Amino acid sequence: MIANLAWVVLALPLLGCIVLGLFPNEPSRALTRVIGVGSVAVAFGLVAVIFATLLGRDTEDRSETSVLWNWIDLGDLRVDLAILVDPLSVLMMLVITGVGALIVLYSTEYMEHDRDYRRFFAEMDFFVFAMLLLVLAANFVFLIVGWALVGLASYLLIGFYYDRPSAVAAAKKAFVVNVIGDVGLVLAAFLLVRELGTLDYAQVFAAAPGQIGLGSGPAELIALLLFVGCAAKSGQIPLHSWLPDAMEGPTPVSALIHAATMVTAGVYLIVRCNVLFALAPHASDVVAITGALTLFVAATIALVQEDIKRVLAWSTVSQIGYMIMAAGLGAYSGAMFHFLTHAFFKALLFLGAGIVIHALAGQQSLNRMGGLRTHLKFVYVAMAVGCLAIAGVPPFSGFFSKDDIIASAFAAGDLGVALGIVAVIAAGLTAFYMFRMLFRAFWGPEPEGGYDQHPHPSRWTMSAPVGLLAVLAAVGGLLQIPAGWSVLRDWLEPAITVADLEPSHTNELIASVLSVSVALLGIGVAYWMFAAGPARRLAYADRFVTVRGLLLDQWRFDQVYEAAVIQPGRDLGDAALHGFEPSGSQGLVNSATSLSASASRGLSRIENGLVRGYVFAVVLGTALVGIVIVLGR
Amino acid sequence: MTTGASMTGVPLSLYLAVSGAMFLLGLIGVMTRRNPLLLLLAVELMLNSANLALVGFSRYWNVVDGQIFALVVMVVAASEVVIGLGLVVAVFRQRLALNVDGMSELRG
Amino acid sequence: MGERIVFALAAAGALGSGVLVILLKNPFRAAVALIGTLVSVAVLFLLLAAPFVAAIQIIVYAGAIVVLFLFVIAYLGDRPVAMPVDPLGRGEPFAWIAVLGLAFPGFIALANSKLPGIRANPRDVGNLGDPREIGLAFINDFTAPFEATSLILLVAAIGAVMLAKRAVQGEGGR
Repeated sequence: MIANLAWVVLALPLLGCIVLGLFPNEPSRALTRVIGVGSVAVAFGLVAVIFATLLGRDTEDRSETSVLWNWIDLGDLRVDLAILVDPLSVLMMLVITGVGALIVLYSTEYMEHDRDYRRFFAEMDFFVFAMLLLVLAANFVFLIVGWALVGLASYLLIGFYYDRPSAVAAAKKAFVVNVIGDVGLVLAAFLLVRELGTLDYAQVFAAAPGQIGLGSGPAELIALLLFVGCAAKSGQIPLHSWLPDAMEGPTPVSALIHAATMVTAGVYLIVRCNVLFALAPHASDVVAITGALTLFVAATIALVQEDIKRVLAWSTVSQIGYMIMAAGLGAYSGAMFHFLTHAFFKALLFLGAGIVIHALAGQQSLNRMGGLRTHLKFVYVAMAVGCLAIAGVPPFSGFFSKDDIIASAFAAGDLGVALGIVAVIAAGLTAFYMFRMLFRAFWGPEPEGGYDQHPHPSRWTMSAPVGLLAVLAAVGGLLQIPAGWSVLRDWLEPAITVADLEPSHTNELIASVLSVSVALLGIGVAYWMFAAGPARRLAYADRFVTVRGLLLDQWRFDQVYEAAVIQPGRDLGDAALHGFEPSGSQGLVNSATSLSASASRGLSRIENGLVRGYVFAVVLGTALVGIVIVLGR
Repeated sequence: MTTGASMTGVPLSLYLAVSGAMFLLGLIGVMTRRNPLLLLLAVELMLNSANLALVGFSRYWNVVDGQIFALVVMVVAASEVVIGLGLVVAVFRQRLALNVDGMSELRG
Repeated sequence: MGERIVFALAAAGALGSGVLVILLKNPFRAAVALIGTLVSVAVLFLLLAAPFVAAIQIIVYAGAIVVLFLFVIAYLGDRPVAMPVDPLGRGEPFAWIAVLGLAFPGFIALANSKLPGIRANPRDVGNLGDPREIGLAFINDFTAPFEATSLILLVAAIGAVMLAKRAVQGEGGR
């Protein structure tokens, strides 16, 4: 019953996509809205039903697998088109369809000035379908299918404005980097087949502890390869560079795909494969260190971005770093908790930024904003809530989830303490750059020469999702309160089979005090620099010109890739094109064609159309064969 | 057909020799004639030589199959002549020369 | 001995008329020469204990097919066809060479044949080629080939009608 509902949930967005995609002519915008929003909203309603049903069951009874049909049967290896409904996938589905429905509703107004209205909603529905397939898959094959489809949807949506070269380049970059991750996942799946002979989640997780030794080579390799996939999808160093560029897509896309759902697929995968990562302590350390490195580097880059969406993009990279770090340290429910709250406040921030951009006719630069709080009061309040949440100010949601992670880190040995300190510093940076964005956009003087367009408040279709997300971002953290209750951890318990890292109360206290004071410090500095005296900003920009340059260049990752990978690749291609191609492959092809052409020309002379000539050929041939047979005897 | 005494019957080899000779005659006709009518006549010659061999073997093995086959060949020959002559007439009515070399539209 | 004489005469008739068929340039004369061949072969059929096939040979071949030939020849008129230069004219000796090349292995094969009794008098065969035997064979063993031949005739008839119709249209007729 539950599983059947889940199939419907999976089918609805696909159906919406197909209907919108194959509609014979351009449907009216109202119809597009109904189908595009309706399919996701109804899916959310069904997920809510599933969730309620599961809540009513015993903890052990909350997992259900459903097989639609057998896809591959290779004797020992059997792959079914199957879905797994369990607390983890239901949590993901709730976020995907819930936040997704809000964002699609928001898009109906945001995209109203664009010509490809229908294509946008078809692609959004397609993304929701792919993401649901990713989280619902009951084996690694369909996980990879969903993984790749999500990458495709992301490519399509980043390149939505396909007449803009930068958007096309960003889409290509995202696709290529994502494919690196896909390759990692596929290789991990190969290894799993070799070691365990199955790709089914239940069988893999049941057999892995017995058949793959703790810390053995295959275990570490599998975990590392899985993490390559996670890093590519979730924008972790060194595969992070596509994510900020992905902001070329429309803002709702950034909110849904590149903040709330898709980029957290890596977190989901690590949590889902907690058994495999628990078997690979070194790989897990790599995961945690990568996460910490990413969250610090991305936070520093976000300090200097001038584009409001790029601030949020780097902030997303940084926040996912928190989740990855937590997952790598074994605090799986902590990672999922931060995923949940992050989905709320980052979607809120993106949608709020979208309203600002919409109000200013597409202007994204912070330099062209300022003083907006008088014009866009509602958005100002909502984004302030979002900033407080992400900065980790109690009692907003980010405080609880971030502290959960930091406290868990303090409980995870020496490495954990070191990473926890990095996380605390980054929390201060987070508070600083978020409020820098808030103050520069909404406080201070209006930009020189006025706004590009007089800012107008949004209608309910854009305001309602923002308001709802603001409420969720404010109270979402109450799901899990230190020393109080831990609803989320209990809910996820059946899905996380290894020991989940739980912080002690002392650690909670230390982490809270540390991070709140650092956050308040960050906010204070931001206020001092950007709100109280806007002139100080330029003075400090001049003083730290070297550091600023490094950060503006995003730590020169792109330049390094350009020099280390892209340029050699181009050189190789050029060399092959000019050195090898003309005489080598093309020469081979050319000589083959010219040879066969001249041979045909010669042979076609025999085909003279004279029947008697043909008879002669037949007779001669028969005679020769006869003579050979007779003389050969 | 009574074949009793030693030198009264005709051995199969002679029939086959005659059949082969007729076949080769027909073949030469097919290769050298350009008039489609003569070409068809030469084909008839070849078909008849095949029939002779078939009936000869029928006699040799003392089974009727060869004769049945010869009758079938005759039917095929009749059909072939009907179609062939129909084509000749059609070509003639299109005021084309009666020359098989002219019908070479399928040349390479 | 009498049978051998008859065979010699018939074989000579068949081959002689065959040579005429391929040598005469006039279609009418060639067709008449073909009648000689057909009749001679019919005599050979009689010697081969195949009276029914011989009768059919005379009736269908000499009677119907050759007459059809003659009709067409008469219809087309006995006119000299203006032939362009034969593009394969120089190739005619090669045709003979090829045919002789085919004759050579055939002759060798025949001469070296290990088939028992191929060069001896044939066995006695009773009523092998009786019309009754042929009919029974067609009904009992060769029903499918029999039906297939009827289909071939039907197709040929339809084809002839179609060709004639198109030809008439090509002439500007009905």
